[in-house]
Amino acid sequence: MLVAFVVPVGQVLWLSVVTEDGQFTLAHFARLFEDSYYLRLIGRTLRLSLLITLGCLLLGWPLAYITTRIHPRFRLWLLILIVLPLMTSVVIRTFGWVVILGRGGVMASVLQWLELAPRNFGLLFTESGLVISMVQVLLPFMTLPILGVLAKHDPSIEEAARTNGAGFFRSLWHVVIPLSLPGVISGSLLAFALSASSFITPNLIAGVRLPVLASSIYRQATSTLDWHFAAAQAVVLLIIVLAIVFPYLLIIRRQAGNQW
Amino acid sequence: MVRAFPLSAKAIAVVLILFIVVYMLLPLVVVVGASLSSSQFVAFPPDGLSLRWFQAAVTSDRYMTPALVSLIVAIIVTVLAVVVGTAAAIALTRFNFPGSDLISTFFISPLVLPTIILGIGLLLFTSNIGTGPNLAALVVGHLLIAVPYVIRTVSAVLAGSDRFAEEAARTMGARWYERYWFVVLPQCLPGIVAGAFFAFNISFDEAVIALFLRSPEMITLPIQIYSELEFSTSPTVAAVSSMMIFLTIILIIAIERFLGIKSVVG
Repeated sequence: MLVAFVVPVGQVLWLSVVTEDGQFTLAHFARLFEDSYYLRLIGRTLRLSLLITLGCLLLGWPLAYITTRIHPRFRLWLLILIVLPLMTSVVIRTFGWVVILGRGGVMASVLQWLELAPRNFGLLFTESGLVISMVQVLLPFMTLPILGVLAKHDPSIEEAARTNGAGFFRSLWHVVIPLSLPGVISGSLLAFALSASSFITPNLIAGVRLPVLASSIYRQATSTLDWHFAAAQAVVLLIIVLAIVFPYLLIIRRQAGNQW
Repeated sequence: MVRAFPLSAKAIAVVLILFIVVYMLLPLVVVVGASLSSSQFVAFPPDGLSLRWFQAAVTSDRYMTPALVSLIVAIIVTVLAVVVGTAAAIALTRFNFPGSDLISTFFISPLVLPTIILGIGLLLFTSNIGTGPNLAALVVGHLLIAVPYVIRTVSAVLAGSDRFAEEAARTMGARWYERYWFVVLPQCLPGIVAGAFFAFNISFDEAVIALFLRSPEMITLPIQIYSELEFSTSPTVAAVSSMMIFLTIILIIAIERFLGIKSVVG
């Protein structure tokens, strides 16, 4: 397993720093950082990932909280609601969004019926469309860690705050949210890392008009076959993700203790 | 008396949950709806009801060949992931050996490390050794993603299992392999079964590594769907996708029956 994991990743690292005939070089990285196209690409990737993470947090936190507090009869259904999309292929969920966001799709029809959108309205190939679909794709990854943390805490802590006179929203703000922070942090890091590296949904929703780092890697590796340059971009992506994932792994290890 | 949840909070919760239900399920509902349409175009709500696209899908080599590839890969991945994952889970929960922390971290890293890196790495590696993308590389890639889930489900069962059963077997003279075969493994069984369903589902649905490693002879079902979506949508693709959604639902019911969704996610 270790070999199966390290060898391919090592291959990427190696190709990114050598020339065609095996000489050490940083030219691939220089090319990446000198070209304003790729700088914009990286900037767009980071900005969109941040937006998507925020979107996941805004929906995922309340969803996790409600799931822990709701009547057990509904809890299973909410868990299935979180797990079913997670276990459906990302290709299929994206397919759904292509139909919803396209011209004449569900979204356009509803907005036009409400007279909020002009004719010929569509969100396909737009950043808003990408964020809307990516938040749906990644929401479970935000919700589950928060759910895990919230479920561990004794609800009597919240009750204590309430009987001592704190209103519901006040206890939410001063007690529940701080307690959920480890879950919020690991969920956010996970969502950010996954959105920075995903390309199936960006390719289908945003197309070539709005390339992100991961979709550019895919194109270089499979269409133009510029493997060294693709590897260099992959390394940049890896560094971005590692900078985010490393603290995540530390948190998980501290939180989970012997669970793994 | 303090009301546990003020009405305003309940109202917000209800509205929010309704919104999230629609938001999370709409893409799946739209795909299933489009597959039932009787017209030639992908439309939601469907123009009329018909199952003809399902018939078109299951009689077409275009989808059945990739489906077979996906099935073979998923079965191999499931078997291997169960063996490796169960062994790792028993080792990690039963023994605290030096480096076990590091290994558990390693086993969860594929969950967070971008699969695109793994995909491009496997592509570069198989091209470098001259074989080009092959089934073994795809299986290895899927295995790396699936094993952490098996470890997780088996560990969840082991954490709640009775260790004294093992002690009892030992005092009654069971050898180590007998203890594992007759005591520990049966205890793990619900976790193993749930892990197997997860592994199968992950491999069957995986698209990133499969996309990098695709070759004319090795196109998995999600990749076939992806390639068609790059150009246009059709009700037949929607029918194939719907069948994959149904398969996922069946797998989730199975996991819930054997282990309970709660112990997997909680």
